[in-house]
Amino acid sequence: MTAYLVIFVAGFAGSFHCIGMCGGFACALGRDPQGRGATVLRHLLYNTGRLTTYCFLGGLAGAFGQVICTPQGTTVPLLSGPLDIGQRILAILAGLLMIAMALQFFGLLPRLHRITTGSGASTLAASLRSLLTAPGHAAPLSFGVFNGFLPCPLVYAFAAQAASTAGALPGFLTMAAFGLGTFPAMLLMGGVGRALAPAWRQRGVWLAGGCILLLGLVTVGRGILPFAVHFAHGWTEPA
Amino acid sequence: MTAQDHALCSHCLLPIGRRAMRRTVNGEACAFCCYGCCIAYQVKHGKTEEWEAAWLLIRLGVGGFLSMNIMLFSLLLYSDAFSGADAEMLPWIHLLLWLFATPAVIILGGPFLREAWLHGMEGRLTSSALIVLGVGAAYLYSAFATIEGSPHVYFDTATMVLMLFTAGYYLDAAGRARAARDLQPLLAAESEWATVVIGDGEYRRPVREVDAGVLVRVRPGERIPVDGVIMEGESHTDEALITGESRQIAKGVDSHVIAGSINLDGPLLIQSSGVANATRWAQICRSVRDALIRRSPSQRLADNIVGVFVPIILVLGIGASVYWARHLPFDRALLIGLAVLVVACPCAVGLAAPMATSLGIGRLARHGCLVRDPAALEALARIRLIAFDKTGTLTSGQARVVAIDSDGTTADVVLAHAAGLERHSEHGLARAIAAAAAARGLEPVAIHDVRVLPGRGIRGKSDGRIVAAGSAALMRELDWSLTPNLAEYGRRREASSHSVIYVGWGERAYAVLSLDDTPLPEARSTVEALRRRGARVTLLTGDLPAAAVRIAAAVGIESGDIEAGLTPEAKRAALERRRHDHGMVAMVGDGLNDAAVLAGADVGIAVGSATDLAREAAAVVLPPGGLWTLPWVIDVARAVRATILTNLAWAFGYNLIAIGLAMVGVLQPVLAAAVMAGSSIIVVLNSLRLERLPEPVPSTAAESAPAPRSTATSNQKAA
Repeated sequence: MTAYLVIFVAGFAGSFHCIGMCGGFACALGRDPQGRGATVLRHLLYNTGRLTTYCFLGGLAGAFGQVICTPQGTTVPLLSGPLDIGQRILAILAGLLMIAMALQFFGLLPRLHRITTGSGASTLAASLRSLLTAPGHAAPLSFGVFNGFLPCPLVYAFAAQAASTAGALPGFLTMAAFGLGTFPAMLLMGGVGRALAPAWRQRGVWLAGGCILLLGLVTVGRGILPFAVHFAHGWTEPA
Repeated sequence: MTAQDHALCSHCLLPIGRRAMRRTVNGEACAFCCYGCCIAYQVKHGKTEEWEAAWLLIRLGVGGFLSMNIMLFSLLLYSDAFSGADAEMLPWIHLLLWLFATPAVIILGGPFLREAWLHGMEGRLTSSALIVLGVGAAYLYSAFATIEGSPHVYFDTATMVLMLFTAGYYLDAAGRARAARDLQPLLAAESEWATVVIGDGEYRRPVREVDAGVLVRVRPGERIPVDGVIMEGESHTDEALITGESRQIAKGVDSHVIAGSINLDGPLLIQSSGVANATRWAQICRSVRDALIRRSPSQRLADNIVGVFVPIILVLGIGASVYWARHLPFDRALLIGLAVLVVACPCAVGLAAPMATSLGIGRLARHGCLVRDPAALEALARIRLIAFDKTGTLTSGQARVVAIDSDGTTADVVLAHAAGLERHSEHGLARAIAAAAAARGLEPVAIHDVRVLPGRGIRGKSDGRIVAAGSAALMRELDWSLTPNLAEYGRRREASSHSVIYVGWGERAYAVLSLDDTPLPEARSTVEALRRRGARVTLLTGDLPAAAVRIAAAVGIESGDIEAGLTPEAKRAALERRRHDHGMVAMVGDGLNDAAVLAGADVGIAVGSATDLAREAAAVVLPPGGLWTLPWVIDVARAVRATILTNLAWAFGYNLIAIGLAMVGVLQPVLAAAVMAGSSIIVVLNSLRLERLPEPVPSTAAESAPAPRSTATSNQKAA
């Protein structure tokens, strides 16, 4: 459970990073003219769409890891359990990717940022704006779904983590924990988003970076160190 | 919008053929070649206030939401998260999946069903029919399975296949739009808007409504919409689209500008000098559009294959299901059939040629090289022999003074006299003499009472003496003697088929001017470049053999490869013989005199006259003065052909292997759909490699024309 808590905290802290792009969307989603309840519903739908995409990516990444690592179909709980060679390699790769993302959060890898946010998604993002103002409940939901696919280093980092779990369920849970972590900030964004001081946003980003760095190091360690298994056993309960 | 506009897809500019999808986007009627282009265009161009575009995205989003939830639950089912104590939950989860799947299948599958239905009504089976059949079978089976409470449902397969196809088509179309980028400015001539200045006001008008004499304002960065003269402003323009040469040309008041060039850095006010749809840009636009609509032989072959492809896959899919049903549980057999249906990818076969050819045609047209027909591009790639016409193709087509042989005076004196006479004449040779004098900075001798003697020459008076220039016959007529030296020079020059003009004054002839057509400065390097590309180069000309040999030597064509003194019919016959010996032949001419010969070659290439494209004499037209682009054009044609071949090899190889794997039951349907979506994206990516072809390089050997040789014998006193 501890691991999911760390991920949840990382998601929560990282969602301050989201204010840049996704927060802008959330603000633009705005208020529903039909009152407070309708506004909350609108934002809940948007976030549900986003969460669904994250969970889907997590489940997919986990299943992908599973296919690579354990053809026998035995799943490995997060941060524990016996590891074979494929899993070790996957863990090292995922861990390195997470560390790279974390370093980017600290502003140490500026070039990576362009790679992760580029890749032609800007036209999609621009045309998605048309959904923000569209009436009805379906529009914010679909907007959330697409939003989840927009390139974001946080999502990549946790998708990597999900893949390293080598199981659809733990992968799903990883991304669900992360997605739920982003929930509160993104829900609030409709109201207080822009009031938040930049300094606090920066602290949130560093905290998120710290969490991801920690998770990345643990994941790499899981791949490299034979005794990490025991260490991990002592640190966390199987999911 | 005319009917012709709808022959090309609004999004990717590939020909639509019979599979058009019509929609109204932003109030304009649009036609799309496939569902992917329809989505991609609306995502890219759909306006916020446009409900239809937003509605499309909403549908896709909700469909995605539902199918992702289905997939999540199914992944959890597969990983046995609900085994053991939770097993009694299973029927309820199946019911939930069914609830999610029904709207998802309707939302995502609707367009496919509609397309399959429309095509089915016309009696055609297309790939959407495969999808509808496969997905429908999976959905219906799962619905029955849910009711019966059997342990396996495949709602995830049904919805994921639909989602993957939709996403794959979208990505495919987004990639194809990059191919259209090169073509867009070329096709804009007809739809472009111009800022017209009337009085103090400025109005936006469609360019086809702009007539001669109208004032047009062009801002920096805009494309100049009409041919015209600059009235106000200074700027640089880039005429690469029209002339093929990408360089900045300084323009000021009274400079001419051509439609289709880009105004780079200063605002301009231009007076239109002609009707907008008669510009070369508009001609290019029409020819490119026509070329894109035509289908090459390989394309026709591919389309025919696609036509029979779908029924065959249908039979294979059903056959695989029936076969496996005898060995496996029914649901497994059904999935194998479904995998066969969705893994087959006729799109990759159908897309192999048109994407590559339209990239190639766009690339060439951007440098002023027009191709009438994709078939010409394919033929050009296979050319083994290139025959050149001489005059106006390898040569400038304009006479030049190449030698001055004087007797008893100097070349300058001769030229000054000759130029004094000839500046009164409009004859081509006369202009060459005046130009030669001007090149040496000579002041023409003042001559009055000038008379042109048709067929013989010209005569006049200066300081009371008769001055004359013309043929030997004119000299005899004047009773002027030719010294033996002069007569000998004249005979020798005439024997090598120069045009010869005797110049004399007072009582005798003093010199003989030899004039000749000169090879273009880039001719030699072009011939060399063609030879390096493995093409044999020959010269077919109607001129005299001596002239042909001299020009051939100058440009580096071997003497064995020359045929001179040919009538147009003989040229065609010579071409025919060479085709028999060497395979595909191309003929390069100026397009004016040898239209019939150009039409007789496998590829007729005209230099400089776009009107021939309309007359269909030439299949390829190079820009004026664009002989040097020919090797590059062949490079592009070869690259396009190689791309088409690799695309086809991939498409067929992929389909054979993937269908084989699916039929033996190795491929999961969802995986099959993902692989299929990837396969046509690979064709798109492979074709996009053509964007990286090098730009044409102007030949470096553009030395200026040599000065005329002059020989003087002074055994007699100068007059």
